[in-house]
Amino acid sequence: MKKFCGRITSGKEWRWLLPLLVFAAVFGLAELDAPLYPQPLVRVTVATSARPQRQVDNFGNVDHTTAQKITGRLLNTRSRGQVVHFSNTFSASGALDVKLRRGQVVFVQRQNAGYQLQDVKRDGVVLGLLAATLTLMVLVIRRRAWLVVGSLLANVALLQVTLHLETSPANQQLAYVLFAGMAIVFTAVTTVFIAGFSRQAAVIAAATLGATALAVGLGYALFTVTHYRSLHIEAMNYVTQVPQLLFFVQIMIGSLGAVLDESNDIAVAVMQLPAAKKRRFQAGMAIGRNVMGPLIAVLFMIFIAETLSEAVLWLRNANALSQTFIWVMGLGFAQALVSAFGIVLAVPLTAGLATVIQRRPTHEHI
Amino acid sequence: MNTFEALLLALLILMVLVGGKQGISNFLALLINLLLMVVAVVLIAGGFNAIGVAVVIGLSVLAATIFLSTSDGDVAATAFVASLLVMLLVLGVILIGTSLAHVQGFGPEDSEELEGYNLLIGVSFQNILVATALFSTLGAIAEAAVAVAAGMKELGRAATPPGLTKMGAEIIGTALNTLFFGFFGGFAGLFIWFAQLKYPFWEVLNNKIFAGELIAVLFSMIAVTLTVPLTMWVVSTREKGTQA
Repeated sequence: MKKFCGRITSGKEWRWLLPLLVFAAVFGLAELDAPLYPQPLVRVTVATSARPQRQVDNFGNVDHTTAQKITGRLLNTRSRGQVVHFSNTFSASGALDVKLRRGQVVFVQRQNAGYQLQDVKRDGVVLGLLAATLTLMVLVIRRRAWLVVGSLLANVALLQVTLHLETSPANQQLAYVLFAGMAIVFTAVTTVFIAGFSRQAAVIAAATLGATALAVGLGYALFTVTHYRSLHIEAMNYVTQVPQLLFFVQIMIGSLGAVLDESNDIAVAVMQLPAAKKRRFQAGMAIGRNVMGPLIAVLFMIFIAETLSEAVLWLRNANALSQTFIWVMGLGFAQALVSAFGIVLAVPLTAGLATVIQRRPTHEHI
Repeated sequence: MNTFEALLLALLILMVLVGGKQGISNFLALLINLLLMVVAVVLIAGGFNAIGVAVVIGLSVLAATIFLSTSDGDVAATAFVASLLVMLLVLGVILIGTSLAHVQGFGPEDSEELEGYNLLIGVSFQNILVATALFSTLGAIAEAAVAVAAGMKELGRAATPPGLTKMGAEIIGTALNTLFFGFFGGFAGLFIWFAQLKYPFWEVLNNKIFAGELIAVLFSMIAVTLTVPLTMWVVSTREKGTQA
C-alpha cells in the first residue's frame, strides 16, 4: 500500500500536471476552429464600456448595467477578416448577459446592414474539460478507464437513438413505452460493461430494474393518493411535450445509475462469499445499509443544486420561501425522494436475488 | 397530507424496514441536507457571497452525509478529511472552469420560466453558478470517499498496488454511472427539446444550458476521480502518524 501511495505522491509527480496541459492544448486548438462553423464568429478586438447605470426595481433590488461598444474581426464565412461593430449590455448580476472582453470569440447574427451579438463560443472550455477529465481518469485507473468511457459512450448512443425514435410523430403515443424500453436497454448495456455476460450481471440488471419499477410505482401511487397536492408537474422546465411524460422519464432514468451502482456492490460481495444462504443475505443487507445513505445524498444534491439559480431569483422577486420551495425546488425534491425509494428497495432485492440465484460452486465464469 | 409529506413518510418507513437504526440516521442525514440547502438559498438570496455560503454549507453537507451514514467512526473520519481536501481542489477547478465558460444564470430556453421576473436582482449569478457546481459534486465526493476508506480498511495489510487500482477503478466506474444517469435524469427535458427542435451539434455544444450542464457533470467526474487517490493518501498518512 505504501508503495502505491508513494507512486502517487513522489517520483513522477509531474504527470499530475498532464490534465492541465491537455486542457490548455484543447482549449487553444478550439480557438482556431472558427472555419468549421456555419454561423459567423467574431473575435473581439476592442471593448469599451460606458459608465455603469444604477438600476433599482420595485422590490428594492439594486443592480448595475453597463453598455459596451464592441469592435471585432470576423473569423469565418465569406466576409472573413472584415471588421464589424456592434453593441452589448451587461449587468452586474449577469443572468442572461455577459461582459465581453478583448480576445473573446462570440457568435453574431447578420441583421440589416450590421451584426448583432448572439452568444459566446463555449466549445473550447467544454471540450478542454472533457479531455482533461479523461486524462485524469487514465492517470488514476489506467486501462480500465476505457471500459468506463466505453460504457458511457454506449449510453450516449442509445440516448441518441431513443430521442430520434421518440421525436418522430408516429411514435408519440408510444413515448412512455419507448422510454421504459430505453431504461431496460440502458441497464442491460451498462451491467454487461460492469460485469460481463455472467450470472452476476443478470442479478444486477434484474434487481436494478425491479427496484426502479417498484420505486416509480410506489411514487406514482403516493402522488395519486395525495392528488398531487403541492407537487406542480406543470412547473417542469424545458417542456416540449406533456410535462407528465418528462417527469416520468426523469424520475425513471435519474435513479437508474445509483441503483445499478448499489446492486453491483452488493451482488459482487454476496456472490463471492462462500457462506450459508442466511449469512450471505445478511452480508448483502449490511453492505447495502452502508452505501444507501451516501447514494441518496449524491442524487439529492444533484437534483436540488440544479434549482439554486431559479430559487434565488424567486426569493429576490418577493416570493415567499414556502412558495419558492414548492414551485422551484419541489420537483427536484420529489425526484430525489422517488430515487431514494429505488436505492432503499434495491438493498433487499439484490441481497435476496444474489443469495437465491447462486446455488452452484463459486468457480464459474462465463 | 401533501405529496412531499407522504413521500417522506414512505421513505422513512422503507429505511427503517431495510436499515433499522442506520436507516433512521440515513433519513436524518437527508433531512439535514434538505435544511442546509434551504438555508443556503435563503442566505444567498439575502445577499451573502454565494461562494462563501457554498463552502460553509458544503462542509456541513459533507459532515452530515459522512458521519450519519457510516457506522464506523474511523472510516468516517478518514473519508471526511479526504472529502474536504477534494472539495477545496474541486472548488479551484470550478472557479477556473466557470470563469471561462460564461454559463451563469439562464439560457434562451429558460425564457418561458422567466416571464414576469425581474432579472436585475443584484446577486452575482456567476457566484451562484460556482455554488451550484460545488453542491452538485458533494454527494459524489462523500460517497466515493466513504467507499475507498471502507474498502481500504477491509483490505488492510492484504492491499497490493494492483488490488488498490482495481478497487479504485470499480468505485470510479460505478460512481460515474450514478452521475451520468443522475444528471441525465435532471435534464432529460432539455435533450428532448434539442432533439425535437433539431438543434445542430455545434449549436448544442455551445448552448449555454447544455454547456453548463456538461461541465457540471465533468466537475463531478473530476471530483470522484480525485477522491480515490486522495483518500488512499489520507489513509496511509494517518497510518504512518499512528505508527510513529
